[in-house]
Amino acid sequence: MFEGFLDWFLRIFGSRRDIRLGIYGATNAGKTTLANKISMDFTGEPVGKVSEVPHETRVVQKKEKVEIKHNKKKILINLLDMPGIATKIDYKEFYKFGIRGKAAKRRAKEATDGVIEAIRWLSNVDTVLAVMDSTQDPLNQVNITLLGNLEARKIPVIIVANKIDRKKARPEDIREAFPQYPVVEISALKGKNMNDLYGAISKYARRAK
Amino acid sequence: MKVKPKFKMDFVSAETLNDKPHEKRINFILGKVSDGSILVTDGVLKPEEEMELIKETMRKVDDGFPGIEVCSLKRQTKGVQLFLERVTDQTEKFQSFLGNLTGKPIVKTSMRTGLTLIGPARLIKKIKKNPNSFSVLTEV
Repeated sequence: MFEGFLDWFLRIFGSRRDIRLGIYGATNAGKTTLANKISMDFTGEPVGKVSEVPHETRVVQKKEKVEIKHNKKKILINLLDMPGIATKIDYKEFYKFGIRGKAAKRRAKEATDGVIEAIRWLSNVDTVLAVMDSTQDPLNQVNITLLGNLEARKIPVIIVANKIDRKKARPEDIREAFPQYPVVEISALKGKNMNDLYGAISKYARRAK
Repeated sequence: MKVKPKFKMDFVSAETLNDKPHEKRINFILGKVSDGSILVTDGVLKPEEEMELIKETMRKVDDGFPGIEVCSLKRQTKGVQLFLERVTDQTEKFQSFLGNLTGKPIVKTSMRTGLTLIGPARLIKKIKKNPNSFSVLTEV
């Protein structure tokens, strides 16, 4: 009871703020699907639009005051769904999704701006969910660079091995590639193992020092 | 018979890159890669620098340059080497802090020991990485 009062008091007088939980990862790892699932579970509202077209999220999408509950613990977070990080963006790749000409080039330009914005936000997040697609090779440079940055900045990270509902999913490859991090295997789309993820968030999430 | 060049590879020593201030190093790498070269160096950028490289790459992306492919193998350091690496990091951070205070920011940082390959995404189609090796598939 005292802790609850203290938390309320500190929040009111500004010395304690909500934890900024950034959702990072490569494109099409399922970041927005995960953000939507978390937000829907605790607020009943989605965060953003999901699409199979890469770079659907091109600006940082926020959902504030999301209270994650796990067992008896409650944790108040600001959910930040980041644009996917990529080392290349080719407008021609949008052709196969029916986006052509100026629209494809505009989307590519917005996507590059989104990557820059996501990188800038690294200095403003408290804890990160690093989302990886379990059907893909986890040892790509985006994942390696992202985790290296988070480690250098001493930002707590939980690896989310997503899409375990897919036949080709190999979440064990992610565990093997990054044994020093907590890994939670989920399917954000099917809502599988979400309780495990909420447990990990309540265990590892904290404000940046 | 005249043979048409397929692609150019530049092997650059880590010392060459270490001599360059942070910003110039990124510009040097991106300059080579956007000109169509595949750059190989016996050093590894720090994660913060690599993220900076991705950021600067995004600023350069246009119709003819879709971006880069990067792969690095960092030598695993242990014991004394790891200690020395951390001391170097802290010294550089302190120098940078002092530089900022005196208005003369020091932006030189040394690369880690290892191997890095950076190339244009339109040439490199796939990089398959294992913990201690990688293979590169190119398309010309």
